Amino acid sequence: MLLTGLVLGIALGFAMQRGRFCVTGAFRDLWVTGNTRWLTAFLIVIAVQSVGVFTLDAVGVISLSSSAFPWLATVLGAFLFGFAIVLAGGCATGTYYRAGEGLVGSWLALIFYALFSAISKTGVLATGVSGIRSVTVEASTVHGLLGVSPWLMVTLLATAVVLLARHHLRKRPGARLATLPPRKHGIAHLLFEKQWGAFTTALVIAGLAILAWPLSWATGREAGLGITGPSSNIVNYLVSGDAEVIDWGVYLVLGILTGAFIAAKGSGEFRIRIPDAVTTVRSIAGGALMGIGASLAGGCTIGNAMVNTASFQLQGWVAFGFMILGTGLATRLFITGPSKARSARNAAARESPGQGAAALGSPTQTAHATRTSVRR
Amino acid sequence: MAVHILETDGQVCPFPIVEAKETIALLDVGDELVINFDCTQATDALPRWAAEAGYPVTNFDRVGDAAWTITVQKA
Repeated sequence: MLLTGLVLGIALGFAMQRGRFCVTGAFRDLWVTGNTRWLTAFLIVIAVQSVGVFTLDAVGVISLSSSAFPWLATVLGAFLFGFAIVLAGGCATGTYYRAGEGLVGSWLALIFYALFSAISKTGVLATGVSGIRSVTVEASTVHGLLGVSPWLMVTLLATAVVLLARHHLRKRPGARLATLPPRKHGIAHLLFEKQWGAFTTALVIAGLAILAWPLSWATGREAGLGITGPSSNIVNYLVSGDAEVIDWGVYLVLGILTGAFIAAKGSGEFRIRIPDAVTTVRSIAGGALMGIGASLAGGCTIGNAMVNTASFQLQGWVAFGFMILGTGLATRLFITGPSKARSARNAAARESPGQGAAALGSPTQTAHATRTSVRR
Repeated sequence: MAVHILETDGQVCPFPIVEAKETIALLDVGDELVINFDCTQATDALPRWAAEAGYPVTNFDRVGDAAWTITVQKA
């Protein structure tokens, strides 16, 4: 029943593309604008999935196991991964689904991410990675460490998430929000045009994340959604021809790519887009660092920050925190820092006489055609 | 009233919105900024930014496969 991975992956890729679900964006917004709307959506996925996971565990469909917490590798790897996703312009799943939208930068990030995952998990870096991962503490879950029921943690998280979501729903701009003019009708409009809300998308993804547990479990892969392991497996299969490594997760990630392509193609959002030189280099470097970071941390934004958090693994929550910190550093270095410098230069140019028009000049290398006309 | 055009095609998020903010800071109130972009996530981020900043959106449309344009008026 490996094919259930493909079907679930297609649904997930479809939902992520149509819902514009981007974990990198959610983490990055914190540092760029301080906005927590997408982070709240991400927390909704964790909270809803958490209810599902502990219910499945309680009824015996799955059984959550625990192992010692590799704290050092998690801290280092998650920080590196958080840094890398800003360079690559998307986390592991984000890169898969944007690859399906035709972004060649994401193809490169994806190839290097999968390659460096394999290098770190089973290749020349494997000894180093497993060495750092052998530095552990004898604790595995948050509730275990605190000596409380997991349901207390689930309740606390769910309450916090409801409050956060309510806060965002109240300040929703509503009618003031501009939308694209509809061009499709009926089911085509619903599937390939209608804009999804961030929280609706989160609920759909949470449902799929819960379903992933029993479906994956049934095939012998005892885990929920995961991206890095399967990506490494694909590389291993391609270079060794060993079909044993093809598991449910491999079908899942191929499904994400396919689902995102279907969604993008159906909604006129697929186009082969070639990155410029800077983006190309960043995509490759970001992808490679993502592979190493995720292998060290034991998972990416999905496997760790969205799935291991739902089962209240220490590794998941510590990774979640350090990914956000890594994203913060990279955002400052590559996005907000340069932007502030340009704005300051622009303001200075505006102050000096005779340079008013020049102030509108391009802050980067993009062509700004500035024209003046009278309208209305 | 002046109309300024910002081409961000080929730039991934968050660069379209970062550049839009930098550019609109230089405009006079009432001026319009046409932002052309091809990052899918910006179809969510740009109109939301405009709404939250209180800038009216006078045009928002597709111009081709994975290509959009939005016109934001500085207020």
